[in-house]
Amino acid sequence: MSAVASPRVAPAARTDLLSWITTTDHKRIGILYLSTSLFYFFVAGMLALVIRTQLARPGNSLVTPHAYAQLFTLHGTAMIFLFVAPFALGLANFLIPLQIGAPDMAFPRLNATSYWLFLSGGLVVFSGAASNEGAAAAGWTSYVPLSAIKVSTGLGQDLWIVGVFLVSVATILTAVNFVTTVFIYRAPGMTMWRIPIFTWEMVATSLLIFMAFPTLAADLLLLFVDRRLGGHVFDPAGGGNVVLWQHLFWFFGHPEVYVMILPYFGVISEIIPVFSGKPIFGYTGLVLAAFAIAGLSMGVWAHHMFTTGAVNNPFFSFLSFLIAVPTGVKFFNWIATMWRGSISFQTPMLFAIGFLLNFLLGGVTGVMVASPAVDYMAHDSYFVVAHFHYVLGGGSLFAIFAALFFWWPKMFGVKLDETLGKWCFWFLFVGFNVTFLPMHLMGLEGMPRRVFTYANTGRLPELNLIATCGSYVMLVGTLLFAWNVIVSTVRRRPVGDDPWGANSLEWATSSPPPEHNFDKLPPIRSERPVWDLHHPAGPRT
Amino acid sequence: MTPKTNGCARTATDRMRLAYPAIESANSGYFIAVHVQTWPLTATKQASVLANDWFIFAGSGLAVALLVWGLIGFALARWRRRSRPSNDPPQFRNNYPLEIAWTAVPFAFVCILFFYGYRAEASVDAVDPHPDVIVHVNAYRWGWQFRYEGGPLVAGATHSPIIGSNDAPPPELVLPLNETTRIDLTSSDVTHSFWVPDFLFKRDAIPGQVSSFDLSPDRLGSFPGRCAQFCGLDHAFMTFLVRVVTPAQFAAWRRTADAR
Repeated sequence: MSAVASPRVAPAARTDLLSWITTTDHKRIGILYLSTSLFYFFVAGMLALVIRTQLARPGNSLVTPHAYAQLFTLHGTAMIFLFVAPFALGLANFLIPLQIGAPDMAFPRLNATSYWLFLSGGLVVFSGAASNEGAAAAGWTSYVPLSAIKVSTGLGQDLWIVGVFLVSVATILTAVNFVTTVFIYRAPGMTMWRIPIFTWEMVATSLLIFMAFPTLAADLLLLFVDRRLGGHVFDPAGGGNVVLWQHLFWFFGHPEVYVMILPYFGVISEIIPVFSGKPIFGYTGLVLAAFAIAGLSMGVWAHHMFTTGAVNNPFFSFLSFLIAVPTGVKFFNWIATMWRGSISFQTPMLFAIGFLLNFLLGGVTGVMVASPAVDYMAHDSYFVVAHFHYVLGGGSLFAIFAALFFWWPKMFGVKLDETLGKWCFWFLFVGFNVTFLPMHLMGLEGMPRRVFTYANTGRLPELNLIATCGSYVMLVGTLLFAWNVIVSTVRRRPVGDDPWGANSLEWATSSPPPEHNFDKLPPIRSERPVWDLHHPAGPRT
Repeated sequence: MTPKTNGCARTATDRMRLAYPAIESANSGYFIAVHVQTWPLTATKQASVLANDWFIFAGSGLAVALLVWGLIGFALARWRRRSRPSNDPPQFRNNYPLEIAWTAVPFAFVCILFFYGYRAEASVDAVDPHPDVIVHVNAYRWGWQFRYEGGPLVAGATHSPIIGSNDAPPPELVLPLNETTRIDLTSSDVTHSFWVPDFLFKRDAIPGQVSSFDLSPDRLGSFPGRCAQFCGLDHAFMTFLVRVVTPAQFAAWRRTADAR
């Protein structure tokens, strides 16, 4: 009860550089993961700005076609493998033991191994830029034969394979850790049906990782065998099959989409109840929906291949449509959580609302392109570029900022500035939509993705210029976030254990938590033990 | 990844600088002439079917989006926190009939959508066993080869990678109006994609595989086509032009092209 009024002071821990390098504490590994993935986000964002600047007007010659191919390859690779997915792993690293009342992860040293593999994998991918023929330039999907040795002769492609392989091993090891921790290390009273939705989503995500990432690792090895050891797995001249790469890649690639979104469904499910003053609506439905999405996502990979003429389009189309049902359930649950609530618009909630508004459009266009008859036009055009940026940028990225603002006080003991946070939100929200909304129209105008320039015809020049302006507005929003971090850190105003009036167990310990996480656990009788602690009389229904 | 100053990249820049006016002049004349109408143009029988599917999906998708945006907006406006609340809002957690409803209704909805999409796709993917014209299309880095069964053969690239020969207009695929042309599509190097935006259609050109589809143009005119699958340096310049002519003009073109 008095926890809010008197912030406890964490016992002094070593803070020197060596202690960070050798740490096995899940909170520190989490923070390392988060800051590393934010660093890669910044790099990938800068690459995107160069891309948008090149496309600002037709016939621009800011970069060469070869440099452009490297730019979008590294942008996609970094955003997907080094930012959106690992940010979720970092967040889960920090939160899972705290949310289930455990002192650490099940395998702390394995956890540290994962982080260092992830960091080095990213550096290996980028190191290709220093090689003679530059970094990988075959796109993040690395389709053969474009990525075969005959066409992509440079070392950059090999470094890409090795780097992404390291990241995929790191991801598998982390998923092992998450599942073991949640199944074995829950505090007394923390039954499976009381763990927070975020932790549930990470369980579903980890199961997806078990299915998807070993396939990716195997694909990458096969590609490497083809390139450097004389294999013919993907070489039609040697009896191999080009479409096989697409099957194997998307068998990983589509579950990967949900690895990049399920954790953020969890983030939204944590934030909306707190700022609506209500429990999450339909807890069981949300959990079942997460597993329905995870299960279905294993059977939809060939919707990336509708235009190959080599797959059973109706089968993959129908399973893809079905994913809309559990996703809709989640949306309705979030709206019902706000329904008749007491909604306060603090920065984490603003970003959560931004997520709802943007992701909805990405979901709707997702159902559209899941119909082969629509996809015949939209595939590989800017319409699809708009679609997946609404899912991963408007969706995941907004949830990432929501998570940063929401859990920052728990990680560092200080709140990020609210006023700066709201400006950050508006710049990102407006900038995002100005950048990506016009891309739907570019696709309908016939602009293919991955082109370094376009003809001066139709509305393409205006649409591209608008998109480029939007991307600079997003830059301002991102810089405001960086400025916010500096201001709040320098100002150093301690906020106490539970600054938001939140629900789950991480808010029952000090901010930042001590090395062993909890001095004393409150009784756990529902999925929101901290709310119960503050409301001994029970809920008014 | 920064622009390199080695030979390869420099020629690419030079090529681009030289090529841009070429693509501009080669394309804009045709493009502006044919591209000032509202989308979609639906220049083939298949495209009318596809456009219909677009309208169903875009329309129902937007309707759902507006409904859900509306619900979110209503909830935020109606239940925003006006002042410090004296007590907590109602703490309800479930409503099983409602939850079953918002699972079942969307399920029925996507089944209906699937039915329409399936019908459209089946009609577009159907290949006529006796087409009027057969064209073997081969995509290569970075041009197109159109080999008509019984002649002629048309091939070319908008922008040849050889400096100085980059003023070539895009290769033309000439099709007869209101007749069915079967395209047998493949690639001789990497994966490409045959895309004609005004046909609302594309199909991948995959090495080691022949993919067949029908085009039945129902509108005269010239329609830009391009490669949609990233295939390397000059992907952006890998364009072609579809010219739809009357069957009589088509026969005449075939004779003169053969003679050449």
